[in-house]
Amino acid sequence: MVLEVRGITKRFGGIQALTDVTFQVGKGEVFGLIGPNGAGKTTMFNIITSMFPPTMGEVIFMGKKLTGLKPHEVTEAGVCRTFQNIRLFPEMTVLENVTVGQHCRTKSGVWSSVFRTGAQKQEEKSIREKALELLRLVGLEELQDTFADNLAYGQQRRLEIARALASDPKLLLLDEPAAGMNESETKDLFDLIQNIKKLGITVLLIEHDMPLVMRICDRLIVLNFGKEIAQGTPEEIKNNPEVIEAYLGREEEEDLA
Amino acid sequence: MLAELINPYYLQVLSFILINIILGVSIYITLSTGQLSLGHAGFMGIGAYASAILTLDYHMPLVVGIVVGAILAGIVGLCIGIPTLRLQGVYLAIATLGFGEVIRVLFINLEGLTKGAVGISSIPHIGRELVKGLQDFGFKASMIGLKNNQLISLSVFLLLLIITLLIIAFFIRQTNSRVGRAFAAIKMDERAAEAMGVNITYYKVLAFAQGAMVAGFAGALFAHVTAYISPADFSYHRAVEILIFAIFGGSEVIWGPIFGAAFLTAMPEILREVNEYRYMIYGVLLVVMMAFRPQGLIDTQMIYKLKQRRKKKGVS
Ligand SMILES: Nc1ncnc2c1ncn2[C@@H]1O[C@H](COP(=O)(O)OP(=O)(O)O)[C@@H](O)[C@H]1O
Ligand SMILES: [Mg+2]
Repeated sequence: MVLEVRGITKRFGGIQALTDVTFQVGKGEVFGLIGPNGAGKTTMFNIITSMFPPTMGEVIFMGKKLTGLKPHEVTEAGVCRTFQNIRLFPEMTVLENVTVGQHCRTKSGVWSSVFRTGAQKQEEKSIREKALELLRLVGLEELQDTFADNLAYGQQRRLEIARALASDPKLLLLDEPAAGMNESETKDLFDLIQNIKKLGITVLLIEHDMPLVMRICDRLIVLNFGKEIAQGTPEEIKNNPEVIEAYLGREEEEDLA
Repeated sequence: MLAELINPYYLQVLSFILINIILGVSIYITLSTGQLSLGHAGFMGIGAYASAILTLDYHMPLVVGIVVGAILAGIVGLCIGIPTLRLQGVYLAIATLGFGEVIRVLFINLEGLTKGAVGISSIPHIGRELVKGLQDFGFKASMIGLKNNQLISLSVFLLLLIITLLIIAFFIRQTNSRVGRAFAAIKMDERAAEAMGVNITYYKVLAFAQGAMVAGFAGALFAHVTAYISPADFSYHRAVEILIFAIFGGSEVIWGPIFGAAFLTAMPEILREVNEYRYMIYGVLLVVMMAFRPQGLIDTQMIYKLKQRRKKKGVS
């Protein structure tokens, strides 16, 4: 198992954001995390990446306990994420954003940078090459010198994915990557996730775009009010009456309204 | 010819401009991780007092005094930087302001060491020491047609110029490196930076200690250029003045505080009347900058455009 989430509970004051959630993700899987707004999906990402601690439970990644680590240590261990409310470095260029993602895989410190040692120059060169390669993967190569702030919404989402990939993750967490994307952008995103999967990276995906989720996920978990209501393959989920009632059904009602 | 051009007074003004530029760089480093410090006058004072006491009371060579002063300020910066890590923005400013005041009161009260409010005078002067050194090598001011005091001022200025350029070069290189990118990431979005694998504790403390050390270094130089220091030199006014260099010039790129320091130090010398209203002008500047150009006169976009223009010219 790449990821084991064991009995995670999270309370914020009076709000019970997650209650005893358990699931496992195998190597190379695309695992979906779905549920209505406020179900606790983003909270689960924050706990996996140690942005804050769970009230109860623990997260194990490739046999290593992530709970209690600092966020940068989680990234070092091989888990990286994107944010639902995009959090790029706005006054950096597209290329610079991706170079920051490589931080924990590179070494140069103050002295080697100031004296421009051979090793430092070599490292800078490889950082740049790798960043360009990732920009090519997400289709932003042409925009490398643009400030991140000036990108269109869908481009910003793809840049966040490139920045996260720059940290060489074994597990990538995507928080609503298709939000705000049009149809053709969503299709490109589908291809991108497939390509990421081909690189051997395991993906944990939060997404509201049901056709996308059902096509791309190997398995998924459905949360409602912080509790698991179902887990299984897309086929199983689609036919689960509880899911239809709690989530898919309500979605249709919303669509009608 | 040369002899007439070299006016010790102007050279001294230029020397103070250079020291203030170093102070501007010191606040830039701390700000480049988004930490707002009003403790830089305190760090400057620590460097100044440490070096003055070491050279005067313990007869250490100037170089040793200055280096130890800077390192001591850096260590104190480390001790202040760690517990204040969790403080953001204005809370950090208040805490560091308090630190600066504590340091100033210590300078006043540790009379045995610091001579209290009166201050320390007859601190060994860099210029005189340098000229003495040159004389030992058989070099005299008259050999290049200068008076002794002209050579003293000139040597101070040239030494400070070299030091300032080296410091600027150091931090430009640091900014354009993995370390500088980590600083910038933290400044723009701390949570995102740590999620991308940046150890924010390490880099914030590093920036704080570096800023403190450079301020201490500037303070030590200041002590050996004026030859006289007192607690009043390192009061809250100084802390605000240093911050104004960055607010006026800008803190996004290193050229901002350098320009701010140079301009705001030269201004009162050029327009004598301005000096009296100095703090009033600082106050007005603060308000005006915050309202109309919060990022300061020189910002990233400006440098970016200049670079693009240069690139285009290079191509055509
Ligand atoms: N940092 C926080 N502090 C307090 N409450 C929070 C915090 N983060 C999330 N919540 C609450 O937890 C619940 C789950 O939120 P979230 O995980 O963002 O849901 P989702 O991503 O599934 O839409 C919501 O009620 C939200 O208000
Ligand atoms: Mg969410």
